[in-house]
Amino acid sequence: MSPLNPAKTLGGGPIPRTLFSSLLQPTFKSPSSLFLSNGRIPHALRIASKLNTSQDSKSQALPDNNNKEKKRIVVFGPSPPVSEESNGVATNGEGKRAPAGVPLSGFFKRVPKRVLAALSNLPLAIGEMFTIAALMALGTVIDQGEAPDHYFQKYPEENPVFGFVTWRWVLGLGFDHMFTSPVFLCMLILLAASLMACTYTTQIPLVKVARRWSFMHSTEAIHKQEFAESLPRASIQDLGIILMGAGYEVFVKGPSLYAFKGMAGRFAPIGVHLAMLLIMAGGTLSATGSFRGSVTVPQGLNFVVGDVMSPNGSLSFPTQAFNTEVHVNRFYMDYYDSGEVSQFYTDISLFSLDGKEVMRKTIRVNDPLRYGGITIYQTDWGFSALQISKNGEGPFNLAMAPLQTNGDKKLFGTFLPIGNTDSPNVKGMYVSCFSLKPCSKQISRIE
Amino acid sequence: MIFVTLEHILTNISFSIISIVITIHFMNLLVYEIVGLRDSSEKGMIATFFSITGLLVSRWISSGHFPLSNLYESLIFLSCSFFIIHIISKKLNHKNDLSTITTPSTIFTQGFATSGLSTEMHQSAILVPALQSQWLMMHVSMMLLSYAALLCGSLLSIALLVITFRNNINFFCKSNNFLIRSFFFGEIKYLNEKRRSVFKNTSFLSFRNYYKYQLTQRLDYWSYRMISLGFTFLTIGILCGAVWANEAWGSYWSWDPKETWAFITWTIFAIYSHTRTNQSLQGTNSALIASIGFFIIWICYFGVNLLGIGLHSYGSFTLTSN
Repeated sequence: MSPLNPAKTLGGGPIPRTLFSSLLQPTFKSPSSLFLSNGRIPHALRIASKLNTSQDSKSQALPDNNNKEKKRIVVFGPSPPVSEESNGVATNGEGKRAPAGVPLSGFFKRVPKRVLAALSNLPLAIGEMFTIAALMALGTVIDQGEAPDHYFQKYPEENPVFGFVTWRWVLGLGFDHMFTSPVFLCMLILLAASLMACTYTTQIPLVKVARRWSFMHSTEAIHKQEFAESLPRASIQDLGIILMGAGYEVFVKGPSLYAFKGMAGRFAPIGVHLAMLLIMAGGTLSATGSFRGSVTVPQGLNFVVGDVMSPNGSLSFPTQAFNTEVHVNRFYMDYYDSGEVSQFYTDISLFSLDGKEVMRKTIRVNDPLRYGGITIYQTDWGFSALQISKNGEGPFNLAMAPLQTNGDKKLFGTFLPIGNTDSPNVKGMYVSCFSLKPCSKQISRIE
Repeated sequence: MIFVTLEHILTNISFSIISIVITIHFMNLLVYEIVGLRDSSEKGMIATFFSITGLLVSRWISSGHFPLSNLYESLIFLSCSFFIIHIISKKLNHKNDLSTITTPSTIFTQGFATSGLSTEMHQSAILVPALQSQWLMMHVSMMLLSYAALLCGSLLSIALLVITFRNNINFFCKSNNFLIRSFFFGEIKYLNEKRRSVFKNTSFLSFRNYYKYQLTQRLDYWSYRMISLGFTFLTIGILCGAVWANEAWGSYWSWDPKETWAFITWTIFAIYSHTRTNQSLQGTNSALIASIGFFIIWICYFGVNLLGIGLHSYGSFTLTSN
């Protein structure tokens, strides 16, 4: 590959800046730059270049760069502390390598090493991610959390779906509770192990290597790189200036120049992996050591927190805050002009064991109450009872049952028997309500 | 009332501009090329963008909440995001060949949303209590921006696959010479000057193969950048959604169908990023994965809404028009 002779192609003269800029910027202005920015090193472009200046100094205005220390200081400021690799190894991408510098002595150290190497294998990780994605997709297709009867009917043995999927498959593999099933959890644990292995073996050494500016001092080493070019009449200074203008960080040591760009792209995967590990750890913690509960409380009544919470996993321990009593002072709703529900509110007071009110807040859907590690959310509303007074008798408390629920458009009904309640054809009044707004829209029917 | 009429006007303007632009393009392609209308698509895009933005703003003012509460509004927002991506890629990439992907996406999304397929979606609905939160703006807009970027990137990968595996080279000779010439105008001159190529490992066989190679490289590069951008947005959107879910329902993640499919989308594009790190898996393999990702995004966005179940059921609709 014959070196480019800039003097010939662009009419000679001093440094051909345009040639450099088109060569080294990661745009598609020239064929070579296609490869330089082809994503092997995502968003990072590292050039380790040493320019051979030709011996005829008459062809360029600047003197030779070979051994002029002052040029380095003048142009680029103080050189940073560098530790150079003795054999000039340059990393060209995030290939998987054996962990650097760990002694392999002893059998006990070798087995975990092999396990680590096996776990941080990239195709394995890709396969794991595919499997997890497929399992999640299955989890949305198969109905989750239903009674076994549902699966007996939906995946019967006499007429299996797709020819082989019966309820035995679904219930046996735990697909009815896919996201807590052993299969899924095992895949997640495997993925976490791969993440940890990969971060330890590959990413952390990569940080160490990336932080060292590996200058290359021989032409052969540079030409062994995937992309290399020889520009015999070029000047390192101008190359450095052009690179800095293009956003690279440039370091010069003697006759060698080292520039890189996009260091953040090296650290970002580490951050993402660590974040995923943290999320998984948090999820494990809350899956094994938390409490959940839900309760429907009519206005004016109380409940004790500890009564309604049930533990999620084996590590859940109740706290002192579980002894507080929650009193519903008032429940009310806001409506839009069209009559639909805009928001529903509950005014709550918390009382400690000795009857003192410790907190009072009105909660609504996106605004929960937090006290002592417990969070109380407003999730739903309903009618609990209807009080009717008739001819001065009563009031009669009639429990209401939901007739139809469609999100926030709910319909509740109850039945008030009139007359002889023992006869088989009981006469009575049906009352149905769907709104807390006073009067006007109640429907009642008498038979 | 003024806002309703304003919305009507803007909707009609945008839809008619779209129809005119598509008609002009089809005429150019199939029948007869009118030279003066060559940049009509750009002007049409800008006009459509302004009318879409005006539509969203007027809906915002008239309904009092950020215009992202149902599927229609999210589709309009999606076409808006496509246009934003179109503009960004035009600024960064001076030859602007990505407009072949972003322009039709904008146009078709806008057309589908405005069409008569589901007119009952068009009225601005009130916000249910669960949606009345500041997180609505952040989470949903991030997700839609990410969908737009990921869709563009996946379409570029599909284009790469189609171009790589098309066997008839006549395709490049005949009608698309104009396109390719406009890509590489500046490079032909450079190529003539450099007699020896700097490639080490490409076969520089024939003129046509070289152009095809250039095109695929370019598509590859741009699809990687788009998908990385979209992946970032998707991550931010999913995290915002999880934090919002904790505020509203008490748990960060409840394996809702929509959430699960968003996570599946995230996983597929994470696989894509991983295949890009290793040189042996790069190239058409990663393009294949991005193409799968295209369909998964549509399932995540539309398919789950069609089912209409779960906590995310605000966007459900039926395809029968009343």
